[in-house]
Amino acid sequence: MTARRAATGRAVEGGAATGRRTRPGPHAGPLLAMRAIAKSFPGVRALRGARLTVHAGEVVALLGENGAGKSTLMSILAGVHTDYEGTIECDGVPVTIHSPKAAQALGIGMIHQELNLVPELTAAENIFLGREPRTPRGTVDYRAMDRRAAELLTRLGLEVPPRRPVKHCRIAEQQLIEVAKALNLDVRLLVMDEPTSALADAEVRRLFEVIRDLTADGVGVVYISHRLEELEEIADSVTVLRDGEYVGERAMADTDRSELVRLMVGRTMDELYPRGGEQRSEGPVRLEVSGLSCVPEGGSRLHGIDLSVRAGEIVGLAGLMGAGRSEVLQALFGAYGAGRVGGSVTLDGQPYRPRSPKHALRKGMALVAEDRKAQSLVLANTVRFNTSLASLDRYRRPWHTVDRRREREAVAEQVDGLRVKAPSLNANVDTLSGGNQQKVVLAKCLLARPSLLLMDEPTRGIDVGAKAEIHELMDRLARQGTGILAVSSELPELIGMCDRVLVLCEGRLTGEFHRDAANGPRAEQEALLTAAMAREDVVTGTGGGDAAEPTAGDGTTDPADPTDPADPTDPADPTDPTDPDDRPDTTDTTDTTDTAGTDDDAGTPGGDHR
Amino acid sequence: MTGTLTDAPDKEQARTPLARVARLLPVLGSLQGYIGLVLVLLIGIVTQGDVFLSETNLTNAVGAFSSRGILAVGVTLVILTAGIDLSVGSLMGFCSMAAALLLVNEQMPVWQIMPLCMLAGAALGLVNGIGTSVLRIQSFVMTLAMLSIARGLDREMSDNVSVGTQVAGPDGTLTPEAEAFQQLGTPGHNVLEGVWLPFVGKEGVYFPVLAFVVVCVAFHLLLSRTTFGRHVYAVGGNPTAARLSGINVTFVTIAVFTLSGMLAGIAGPIDAAYSAAADPLAGTSYELDAIAAAVIGGASLRGGKGTIVGTFIGALILTLLDNVLGLNAVSDNWQLVIKGSIVVLAVVLQRPDLFRRKEKA
Repeated sequence: MTARRAATGRAVEGGAATGRRTRPGPHAGPLLAMRAIAKSFPGVRALRGARLTVHAGEVVALLGENGAGKSTLMSILAGVHTDYEGTIECDGVPVTIHSPKAAQALGIGMIHQELNLVPELTAAENIFLGREPRTPRGTVDYRAMDRRAAELLTRLGLEVPPRRPVKHCRIAEQQLIEVAKALNLDVRLLVMDEPTSALADAEVRRLFEVIRDLTADGVGVVYISHRLEELEEIADSVTVLRDGEYVGERAMADTDRSELVRLMVGRTMDELYPRGGEQRSEGPVRLEVSGLSCVPEGGSRLHGIDLSVRAGEIVGLAGLMGAGRSEVLQALFGAYGAGRVGGSVTLDGQPYRPRSPKHALRKGMALVAEDRKAQSLVLANTVRFNTSLASLDRYRRPWHTVDRRREREAVAEQVDGLRVKAPSLNANVDTLSGGNQQKVVLAKCLLARPSLLLMDEPTRGIDVGAKAEIHELMDRLARQGTGILAVSSELPELIGMCDRVLVLCEGRLTGEFHRDAANGPRAEQEALLTAAMAREDVVTGTGGGDAAEPTAGDGTTDPADPTDPADPTDPADPTDPTDPDDRPDTTDTTDTTDTAGTDDDAGTPGGDHR
Repeated sequence: MTGTLTDAPDKEQARTPLARVARLLPVLGSLQGYIGLVLVLLIGIVTQGDVFLSETNLTNAVGAFSSRGILAVGVTLVILTAGIDLSVGSLMGFCSMAAALLLVNEQMPVWQIMPLCMLAGAALGLVNGIGTSVLRIQSFVMTLAMLSIARGLDREMSDNVSVGTQVAGPDGTLTPEAEAFQQLGTPGHNVLEGVWLPFVGKEGVYFPVLAFVVVCVAFHLLLSRTTFGRHVYAVGGNPTAARLSGINVTFVTIAVFTLSGMLAGIAGPIDAAYSAAADPLAGTSYELDAIAAAVIGGASLRGGKGTIVGTFIGALILTLLDNVLGLNAVSDNWQLVIKGSIVVLAVVLQRPDLFRRKEKA
């Protein structure tokens, strides 16, 4: 603890300096004021009348659905878009930000949603990219660079060696390296666009500490996130955009989730998870896996995993980052080829040997991959091209030509059914917002008519509305008899959506939880976490309950219950900074969960462990 | 979400004339190759008028470029998968030499020479494909190696001497095989005489022109209409997504290199017939013209973007440019300079975003 504080103290040098700079004389107005900002892209009005005010030392949450204009507004602030209308004032002085460099000169730092790291360079080289320390001889002072990089990384709770190439770091680690890069700058205003989308709970907590340090030094923070529970914890005020327009601004203390959601989507959202209605009826076993083992290239090993998925059942896979959850899906889908996967798999009663994605698709599987841009979409091509890509054979005529009329009809049906917001089927997918891109990925999978759907982080980085739609879709598919095996880093989502949740730890199964509304959400939450971090007593087989006994006093992660956004007074929020008992616990937990970082999220709707 | 996402209908169905025009606009923007083509034509007409427009001149121009145009189609295919094929010039040289030797030494008829050459080209292309996909050698390196290998084989095969294809029989006239071989591209010889064809009527058609057009049409259909074409674009656009969508990336990669090699096998005999000889150095630096044609036509070396129509236009621009500059007695050296500049210009024009600030939301 002491060591970390010391490191923090040194690493904040930049922040301290800006702290002094934030009070330039008598001006007491906001650090940043953007007013009546309007910006159009060809064919789209991205922003009109948007505004944003940030005071020194304040964390302003910028909230809105995907496509609401948050990123555009921030790009204007960062000097990426220069042809905007409206005024921007820094310390009350009107400024024009005509280039990213100008934004940097004003002390505006940006952490983009998309990572901007050079994969081949090391963590330290990325952090110091463009401002490498020099030795007297003029060469790069690697020793100083690595030392300072290590300090910054430690401050963020990362145990990545500074000399590790970024391409060998996990996504969560890369995201934190991106944060370290911004911290290394002399910023007065830090914009964080979805900084936690790949982070696990403990890492989020560490990041929040860093944010609090920064604001204590007078840095203003604009925080963009879709995770409302995070905003409740970190933000002082919240500005909501909808369809490019300013909708409202609230002090975080005076508002609640249901109001925010209402502001964002223009209607109240009664339920985040569609578990209403009767229990889904479960059919025959779709997938039976026993002793699945795998040695993937550059992934986590799997050691003998047993699981089964029935028709009409949604089975969740929980675990920390690096526990091997994605690898289970990829191995089953044949992405690693036949040679690297061991164990026996039965699919719809037939023995199945993972061979290739092509084979898996033919056998009725479909995979929603973890990273839609890198793994699922051909970004430079159209909605139609992408949607039909996995099922082209169905529209095949003689000579392997594609029946384009039937293809278009089928694609249009899926795209309409999922309410993808796209100007046309011939629009390139890279022009769509994240939520709509994800829907295209889903449309592609659904068009392949899978009987077993593998979903890896199906709602990562998309807005509340699209998320709810995808949850509804999962429920509907399950009711139609599809078996779903879903990985998610958001525990509330898993517990809210799944009939059973399996917990993985270091490539082994360490727990299994059935949905059963007998006990409180908190108990299940804790049990899941414990199982996810069970390093020693690894339990295989079905009786995972034992290993997952809730440990007393470990309720470190339990932000409010997202199944009930209308309840602002949710008592289950031990991350509340005013709770002195929980904080040291949180950090301790992190320290024991090794470098891979943790990968679970907080919150616990009803249900419990067995 | 209901309220905000409902405006998602497929506007394709809006088939009003206005909507059609609106849909065409971006297409026009991306095909400024047409504009280049028209410009070159205009320059040709203004400066050389009748000479330029004469049938002989245009036929010669296209005939001279035909083999490179065919290579460009294969290169486009490879470029679409985010690869590059530097070996096409050498492969063509190899195949032209093979064709000449088969004609001279074996007295083989044309209809046997052509398939054999295609087979030989395809085999060498297959090696490129296997090296790239199975051995995971970068295509630049693999095909650079093949450029050297094929050229070496070509020169060894010919003992470094040019092999003429105008083979005379004992009576001093051309042998029947050599006579037939001339049909492949010797200026003044047409094929399909007496068969009615669009545009040219019954006078027959100059084979290099015919071959280039047929290859373009066939590969355009392959790319735009077939599942294989979709797979090519997917592999170039995002190989991971392609693989996870059930596409056999290895097969597609091997296939495009093999097809590229096969097209070099078509271009080889044509070039031999056009030049009336197979030179051991034939096809040197043709790969650069082929790549230039693809790039002028809008193909992106990052893969996933480009069309055969574009390449066809790109090849025509280079053809007519060569011709116009030649007619105006511009020296070869300056022709090279101008060609290079045009490649740069074409690429810049295809990137209107270069003139705007970066718009990455």
